[in-house]
Amino acid sequence: MSKLDSLAARAVLPTGILLAIATPIWLWLVLQAPLDSVQGVVQKIVYVHPPCAFAAYLGFACTAIGGALYLWRRDEAWDRFAASSAEVGVLFCALVIATGPLWARGTWGRWWSWDLRLTLTLLLFLVYLSYLLLRGFTEGNERTARFAAVYGIAGLAIIPLNYFAIELAGGRSIHPENLQRGSLGAGMRAPFWFGVLTALLAFAHLLARRIELAWLGDRAARDAAAAEEAASWGT
Amino acid sequence: MTVLLAVLWKDLLVEWRSRDRIAAMGVFAVLVVVIFQFAAPPGSAPESRGHLPGLLWVAWVFSAVLGLNRSFALELENDAWAGLALAPAERGWIYLGKVLASLALLGAVQLVSAIAFALAFDVPLGGVAGPLAAVAALGAVGVTALGTLFAAVAARTQYREVMLPLLLLPLLVPVLLGAVRATAALLEPQPLPWPPIRLLLVTDAVFLIVSFVCFEYVLDE
Repeated sequence: MSKLDSLAARAVLPTGILLAIATPIWLWLVLQAPLDSVQGVVQKIVYVHPPCAFAAYLGFACTAIGGALYLWRRDEAWDRFAASSAEVGVLFCALVIATGPLWARGTWGRWWSWDLRLTLTLLLFLVYLSYLLLRGFTEGNERTARFAAVYGIAGLAIIPLNYFAIELAGGRSIHPENLQRGSLGAGMRAPFWFGVLTALLAFAHLLARRIELAWLGDRAARDAAAAEEAASWGT
Repeated sequence: MTVLLAVLWKDLLVEWRSRDRIAAMGVFAVLVVVIFQFAAPPGSAPESRGHLPGLLWVAWVFSAVLGLNRSFALELENDAWAGLALAPAERGWIYLGKVLASLALLGAVQLVSAIAFALAFDVPLGGVAGPLAAVAALGAVGVTALGTLFAAVAARTQYREVMLPLLLLPLLVPVLLGAVRATAALLEPQPLPWPPIRLLLVTDAVFLIVSFVCFEYVLDE
């Protein structure tokens, strides 16, 4: 078990306890937060949607970094880290894409718009879905890891290009720049940042669990292969 | 560098002797143009003509994917793959040889299907042939640069014909957007705008560099 795997295994319980404490506090803060005078109750998605987006982007960044470190060090642990980050990132990205249209319908009046950030996120989601498909369709651990690392790096390299491309296509952002302007209303900041903290805790917990599971899966596969070989020697 | 020329020469020679890849790509591209003709709304309203540059590029990208799939599937026969992987040279040069061979085929297909496109949709391409060829070439470089890298990946997976478009298409958005914008301006007709050309140049450069470096990790014995 490498350092990274044992770190993940040791992180499962503390992150789980912290998440169990943080989630009810976050829910209570969201319930206590004042209603937006213009948007009404639908604005409460602000406490779910951006935090999930941060976790998703973090997952995709970890995938690319894990892939690059795997190609450099050839340590399977980095591949497990990259694959697990991609899965957890896709999960959070799916939440972002599911909650976005609900909010958009309530405030912009339509489910979907080809807005800059929306399109970028959708493209990232598709790239990392393809990443998971590639892992599923490749045989052999080492080859899967190499191919996936290359694809994960290409997926990250494409982000700035996509940004310029969508801007060129006239996809100006209609997302509010709330964080830069600091325009979250009075009483909304604490639940928002607590939501970010909770989402990142959930990300860390799921990632640690997924890495542990991947390590156990790899070990079981290795044991089974060894047992098969021993049996073939015996006969 | 000699490896690049050797791979390029070998790919073109194999293609010249069989002509199966270029025939499949060419017929497919023309077929897509014809199918789009049936799918397009009747008449020549300006709003329906706005989609034409996109249709042309979809036909080109799909036929490129078809051809790229064969580019490495060919090497799997008779274990030619191992020979490539064992070549005593930087693997990036093998990659560039493959890119240039695919680019030559795609260029020929683009020429034929552009003529079919001009006839089918009654678009006068004669006046803008020069700049359109430049845009087509810039787009084709982007498509084959990344396509060759992932064709090598897809060839070693299950369902390889399905895998290549799944891997490639989400990453080709900047190339497609730049190429479609530039083509649309040419068909207007307007002078060639700089921003999409710049996007195409930058994207081509990024794709070529990333793929040149990453090909090392993709070509295994």
